[in-house]
Formats: sequence, C-alpha cells, structure tokens
Amino acid sequence: MAAGELDVRHLGMQFDGLSALTDVSLRVPPGEIHGLIGPNGAGKTTMFNCLTGFYKPTAGEVWLSGDRIDGFLPHVISGAGVSRTFQNIRLFSNMTVLENLLVASHRTIRGQPVHEVPSRQRGRFSRGSLAKARKVPVALGSGLAEIASAVVQQPSVRRSEREAVARSRELLRSVGLPGRENVVARNLPYGDQRRLEIARALATVPRLLLLDEPTAGMNPQESASMIALIRSIRDQFETTVVLIEHQMRVVMGVCERITVLDYGRTIAEGTPTEVQRDVRVVEAYLGTRAIKDSNHAAP
Amino acid sequence: MPNARTLRGRTSLKLPEWGQALIFLGVGLVSLLFLDATWIRMLFLVTLYATLGMGLNVVVGLAGLLDLGFVAFFATGAYVVAIWGAPISPAVTGTTDFWILLPMAVLAGAGIGLLLGLPVLPLRGDYLAIVTLGFGEIIRILALNMDNFTRGSSGIFAIDKPQYGLGQVDHVNEFFVMVLIAAMIVWFVTSRLRDSRVGRAWEAIREDEDVAAGMGIDTTKYKLMAFATGAAIGALGGAIYAPFIDFVAPQSFSLIVSINVLALVIIGGMGNTTGVIAGAAILIGVPEILQFDETANLLARFGWLRDAANTSIDGLNALTTLDITKLPPAEEWGDKLALYRFIVFGALLVLVMVLRPSGLFPSRRRQLEFDSEPTEPVTGGV
Repeated sequence: MAAGELDVRHLGMQFDGLSALTDVSLRVPPGEIHGLIGPNGAGKTTMFNCLTGFYKPTAGEVWLSGDRIDGFLPHVISGAGVSRTFQNIRLFSNMTVLENLLVASHRTIRGQPVHEVPSRQRGRFSRGSLAKARKVPVALGSGLAEIASAVVQQPSVRRSEREAVARSRELLRSVGLPGRENVVARNLPYGDQRRLEIARALATVPRLLLLDEPTAGMNPQESASMIALIRSIRDQFETTVVLIEHQMRVVMGVCERITVLDYGRTIAEGTPTEVQRDVRVVEAYLGTRAIKDSNHAAP
Repeated sequence: MPNARTLRGRTSLKLPEWGQALIFLGVGLVSLLFLDATWIRMLFLVTLYATLGMGLNVVVGLAGLLDLGFVAFFATGAYVVAIWGAPISPAVTGTTDFWILLPMAVLAGAGIGLLLGLPVLPLRGDYLAIVTLGFGEIIRILALNMDNFTRGSSGIFAIDKPQYGLGQVDHVNEFFVMVLIAAMIVWFVTSRLRDSRVGRAWEAIREDEDVAAGMGIDTTKYKLMAFATGAAIGALGGAIYAPFIDFVAPQSFSLIVSINVLALVIIGGMGNTTGVIAGAAILIGVPEILQFDETANLLARFGWLRDAANTSIDGLNALTTLDITKLPPAEEWGDKLALYRFIVFGALLVLVMVLRPSGLFPSRRRQLEFDSEPTEPVTGGV
C-alpha cells in the first residue's frame, strides 16, 4: 500500500458571512508527517472537516494521489483512503474496543476494493433525476444482498469476519493496546482512548491519516510515547500523516514540515526550524508587540 | 478464540440466545395443552406484539431512529391481506391465497418503509419522531378515505383463512402456532442481523452518525435498510393479524398501536429480544389477564383479607371522626379490577420505569448508556 499524496488547491470554506478558510494550498508528499498549526480559530479543524467531507468546501480542490476527492460524502472519502481522529475523542463509546475497530473495517469485511474514488460524473454531477433513478435498483439490490448474507452467514462471510477480527487484534498490538479487545471503549483510560481512535482510523486502511491534536491533554511522557507511535505508524502502515497540534515540543519533534494557519490563511510553510524563525508566525502567536519588544531587547 | 459474535454477552441471562428462543417456543407449545381459548388468544396477541417489537427494535434499538409511526407498516400488511384476500373488498375481484399474500405484504411493508425513509433521512431525533408520527396518521386516514379500496370505516371482513395440509387456520390455537413460528423466524433474523456487519453499522450510526460516516459507512443506505427491515416485520405482523381478527378497519390502526409497540420495547429493555418478549407480556398480557375470570376467582379467595380490613376500618371509624367506606365483597374485586385495569396497569408501568429505568432485561450496551458517565472524557464537537 503506497502512502497518498495530498494536494490541496486554493481551498476555501465560507459559512454565510464568515470565511473560515481562504485560498489555502497545501502539498504533502507521500509518507511525510506534516504539521498543521496555528492559534485557536485559525481554521485547522475546519480544514480537516473539508478534507474528510464533513464540510463541503465552498472553493478550491482536494486531490489525493491524482484523484480529486472534494465534494464527496464522508463515507466515499473514507473509501478513497482518508481517515481521521477527532479533537474531542469520538469513539463509539458504548461499544467494545474490538467492535470499534470492526465498524471501521466495514469496507474491508465486505471485500470492497481499498481506495476507490468514484468518477466525478457520478459524484458531484449526479443531481439529475435520471442519474439518481439508475442508482436505485443497484442500491436496493446491494442492500438486500447484505441483509441476506447477514442472515445466512455463509462461510465466506464468517471467514471475512474472522479475518477482520485478526486484523483488529494486530492493529491493537501496533498501537500498544494488546489484549484490550473486550473492554468497553468508554472504560479505557484517556490516553488509551486516543490510541484506540488512531487504531480505528487505521482500520479503514488510509493512505492519508489526519490526526486532530493527538496529544491533547497528555503529560510529557505520554506525549513522547505518542510521538513514537505516530512515527511507527507512518513506517508500518505506509501512510501520509497530517496532524494538528498545539504542543510545540510535539510539533518540532515529529513533523517533517509544517504549515501555519492564521485567520483561515496560510501564513508560513516549511521545516520546523524555518517556521520557528518566521516573523509572521511569532506575530500570529504572540502578537506584534512581542516582536517590537524583542527588537528593543536585542538591538 | 471468541469471535465478534460471542464477545457480545448482551443479556443479563447466562443462557445462549437460541436456548432462550427454544424455551419460549416450548412454553408456547406446551401452553396449548393446558390453556383455554381466552388465554391462547391473549398469548397470540402477546406474541404478535413481541414480533412487532422485534421489528421496531431494529429501527429504534439498533439504528437509533425514533419511529412513532410503526403502525403504518402493521396496517400495510393487514390491508394487503384484507384487500386481496377477502371476497368483500370492492377493488379486487376474486381472492388470492394467503401464502402468496404474506410475502407480498412483507414486500409492500418494506417498500412503504423505504418510501417513508427517503424523505425523513436527513432528520434526526425529535424531528424524525414527529414526521413518523404524522406518517402513521396519514396511512390511517388514507385507509379511512379510500373507500374504493378499503371500504373506509366499514372495514373489510370475511378474509380467507390461510390454508395448510390439514385444512385451514381458523382456530385460535392454529393462529397462535402460526404467529409463534413467525416470531421465531423474526427472532432468528433480527439476532443474525444484529451480530453482523450490518448490525454493527446500525449501532455505529446510533452512537455517532458523523463518525460512522467518517469510518466508511454509507449512513443513508444503512438507515434505509433499518427502516425497510423494521417495516417488513411490521407488515408481517399485520398480515397475520388480518385473518385472525377478521376485521380490518382504520380504527384498529391508531397511534396507540405505535405507542404500545414502542413502550413494550422500552419497558422490556431496548436492544434485547428477551426484553421485548417480557415487555409484550406485561404491556399486552397484563391488561387482558386482569379481566379474566381466573383472576376474579383468585381474588375472591381473599375474603379473609377483606374481613380483616373491614374490622380495622370499623375500629378506625369508631375511634375517629373519619368515615371510611368498607371494602366490597371479594367476589366483586375481579369486576372492579377489570374496570380499573388501566389504572393498575399504569401504576405497574411507572413502577417498572422507576425500578429499572433501562428496562426489565436491558442489553449490555443500553445498560451502559443509562449508567452515569464519569469515565467519558469529552463529547460533542466535530
């Protein structure tokens, strides 16, 4: 499985009068760990929501390894190989750890091809009633077939279920939660819930993994092990990683390149050291006064 | 190693689910030997409502879509069998065999479920409840006004009975066996669905629809599948009900049926078939039992209790200025109880909900949802 290449072109997201993102472009080569930072309200999470189809961007395009994926529904984009975690952990909290992973294995259990991007004709321009009418019998048939195979549970269904369970156990080992299959998700300690969320995102077999503040609320030791985990995931699962982060130690420690957003615009991009020295970044974080002060202090 | 199925451990009972099903089947069949027609009729209604409850459970319990118009599907099934199965129906000449109409009714139910599902899918929670509520009423009013098909409030009767090897199903015992078989099939189907990829998708949608979509689940499709499955089961119930009651009229399909089915699912313990059966027994069975002669006879034995109570009332009246009325003879208690059975019944429901807010036999997951949530870190937000 090759890691995906993310190419965001002039992305814009407008909520009525409010411009949450304006002309944001971003290019992440395959296999890179890319940081997305910026002050609160800069549009980082909005960006993730646009990339995953939770929001439909009002301008611009999102390309993943040569396929345009913006404008599709979230489940289609997930099928194309984009998966995410959430800033506020959003596990299926009353389901067990294993069930959380099996839900995310939804496509693979069915044997649907990994990374499928539907043609634009059927995606964005399917508003015509004819196009919709053609889809109805197909959808009906597949729904019926699914119910039938769930009831009959023929050997192939059982086999793919067993395989999914085995894969899920494997995933749990990879994120450091071995043997916790049967714990109800909400009963996991906080840090483990974050790990489970990452495992769940990985269960969809992503080419692009979006992590929204993976170390939020963690102490330095936990953050350090999370950094190690993110690196090992990138290597083991061959996925491109974009992460939103507030802890500078994490950003500088794990990200190979960084994009800085402020008020919905890109204000800087580069390696951690480049970004750290960028005047506009310091300005955005600390205000203009800080720069003047530091100029006075060190003439 | 346990697989996904055995990991569930849903019920508070230790017995495996097929074991529970067998016990219910056995109890049902044995009761045929000992109980008279009044009781079997009660058991028929309990089993019928339990079947409906299992269907609604797919929609409400698994997929988390609050459907208050379930009666619409019940009515659809009943009317399909009535219109095509009764010589009296105005629109159709001749009759069709019940065993052909039964799958037709189930299909029609699923179709109506899809029709309802399509427009209401974007709605969530309360809004969905209101729209489905309206839909249930629309079907009833349609049945009332389309006299050309349904004979309006005069209703359709003299519906052909289902034929089978030994004759036709017309005795209450035979209907009971029929609904018992249907209930077992529905139990099997719904439990298989629950323990499959489909059931997991439904539960994920119930837990967090957005995240479920983000994990690759086509939420629209699966919500429609839940609606259609529930509706098909509702229509199955209606199709069996029609020849049993032999009078299909709009009055039978009022809102109270939807409410009853929803209430029995909640009281029994959402998401759990044993709970649904227990709920049906309480909600449908108890009001019937309260007016049976057997209950009156049982109460009549408590004459000593009445004497004791009346003695104390005499004493109280003599000592104080209170003027407490004496209790009527125990022989009359049965009649009084039958008269006030819905008050007794209401008190019972309140009691159940106070003592067991997550239902009599909650599924493990529901139990969790009703527990306080100290361990949950943060919720909400995208």
